[in-house]
Amino acid sequence: MSDEVKKDCILIVDDEKGLRIGTQRLLEDEGYEVETADCGEEGIRLGKSKEFDIAVIDLRMPDIDGLEVLKEIKNTFPNTICFIATAYASYETAIQSTRLGAFSYIPKPFTPEELIYQVELGIKQRKLILEALKLKQEREEQLLELASEKSRLNTIIKAISDGVLVINKNIELVYFNYAALRFLNIQDVKIGQSVVEKLPPEISEIIDKIIAKEKILLKTYTTQIEILPNNELIIEAACTPVPNPDGSLAGVVIILSNITQFKKIEQIKSQFVSMVAHELKTPLAAVQGFINIILNDSLGVDREKQKEYLSRSTVRLKSLTDLVNDLLDISRMELKTKQREIEDVDITEALKSTLQFLEFEIKKKEILIDTHIEENLPTIKADVSEITRLFTNLISNAIKYNKESGSIYIIAHQENNYVCIKIRDTGIGMKPEEKDRLFSEFYRAKNEKTRGISGTGLGLSIVKKIVESYYGKIEVESVFGYGTTFTIHLPINQN
Amino acid sequence: MALIAIIDDDPDILDASSLVLKSKGHDVVTATNPKDGLKIITERKPNLIILDVMMDEPDDGFFLAQKLRRENIQTPILMYTSVSKAIGMDFNKSEMVPVDDFVEKPISPDELVAKVEALLNKVEEKR
Repeated sequence: MSDEVKKDCILIVDDEKGLRIGTQRLLEDEGYEVETADCGEEGIRLGKSKEFDIAVIDLRMPDIDGLEVLKEIKNTFPNTICFIATAYASYETAIQSTRLGAFSYIPKPFTPEELIYQVELGIKQRKLILEALKLKQEREEQLLELASEKSRLNTIIKAISDGVLVINKNIELVYFNYAALRFLNIQDVKIGQSVVEKLPPEISEIIDKIIAKEKILLKTYTTQIEILPNNELIIEAACTPVPNPDGSLAGVVIILSNITQFKKIEQIKSQFVSMVAHELKTPLAAVQGFINIILNDSLGVDREKQKEYLSRSTVRLKSLTDLVNDLLDISRMELKTKQREIEDVDITEALKSTLQFLEFEIKKKEILIDTHIEENLPTIKADVSEITRLFTNLISNAIKYNKESGSIYIIAHQENNYVCIKIRDTGIGMKPEEKDRLFSEFYRAKNEKTRGISGTGLGLSIVKKIVESYYGKIEVESVFGYGTTFTIHLPINQN
Repeated sequence: MALIAIIDDDPDILDASSLVLKSKGHDVVTATNPKDGLKIITERKPNLIILDVMMDEPDDGFFLAQKLRRENIQTPILMYTSVSKAIGMDFNKSEMVPVDDFVEKPISPDELVAKVEALLNKVEEKR
């Protein structure tokens, strides 16, 4: 079958011309491919030039000994099946030739049948050898693959940022990666060592629970552990039992994740929620207090007083509405879901319309407005409602925290690629420690001078968010008792 | 009839509480921050102190309560709280919060009156 495609290849090395030609013809007739060499040297050259399936080598040749040829060929191609042919057959040569790797020994003269029979045996042997070789190679490759698969897995597990720790049911270490040791603050452990003393009690407790169970439940038990105090490192440990094939417990795999950041965000969130709850409940409590008084007949509140309480309640409810609106704005800005209409905004126009909007408050407190706006101030690309909101919050603060008959200076000019707007008041100013916290939510400067000034505590935090959303910056200077200046830079060229 | 000091940074709460207590014949003095509160307590020596938690103030209501006790002022304190339930925080009488009772805002006139009377009676019994 494969003869058609690739014939088995035979090398004849013999100094006797007649024998060479006769053997070649005989074997070619049998379907073999045959090459011949007329001396030992040529035999070595041919035998090393390619891998023959069979080589028939004459023992006695004038130049080089047949055993030498055999040795050389076997050196290069150990799987070529070699026969030693000789008329001077002796027990010793036979032993020596097989020791050197000859498959068999053909005594001369031989009949065609004898030769063909030997060659067929040799071919069979060679096929067996090659088959075995192939199997061996395959097995080695597989082993290599397995080994590299194992090391790949190892590398992956070592590299992941989560900690991985595997223990057996005697709580001895079976496997670990470095993240696990780092998270648990463990040094110097080896595979096979007991880690009972080294695991945090929260994990030990879970492991004990898993081991004590009669039947393995493929459940993951998690716990959160503060490894370093003051929320510096908090991890979550997920412990899952590992079953043997028969269902009994082999050990426990523990995955450790760093949840410090998550915890911090959670904390900020709950702080914010409690601040909001407090801010919402304060006006509600006041309003409900008034209503309770009005409804309580035994107190006998007169009509005049009732009306006063109701109108004071309205003021509180108005401030509650403002607060809710500010909160919604902040959350929209943080989620960036606020729909913006970006257009060319004329800063001069925006400032003027803001001042018009606040005219009532300005006149009530007899505030003097002094504006210095550069002519032909470039426009900026922005949502006009946000820019107006920004100015409204800042100027209404400048009114609220000003003294009676005080002044507000508004300066706007171009500064390189920015429009710079300064809003200065002659009000109560701030202490340095108040200035630092000015832009945080619900912070309101509280001192003997701010009493009676109402606000949501969100105005400046909204201002800051607007400015930053346009890649601008806001700065504040203040002298306690003398006034405050807010300086805003908004970029001109931006998309 | 007793003299009652109310310390709360919300003027509306001060007015509402004062009205309720005055209608029961008590005298009332008020302050809107812990500093003024301490002043009226030491000057007027009230029979009862109603003190808001005042979370906004740097020295809050708890701080003032502790300070009073440290200065050996044993006047009973009724504390106004507003968000304890909302944020799952429960106050109990302890060293940290040396007060005698709590009233959760918004104030119900009947509850306020009842708690005030109870505390004043307790002081009376001790004498």
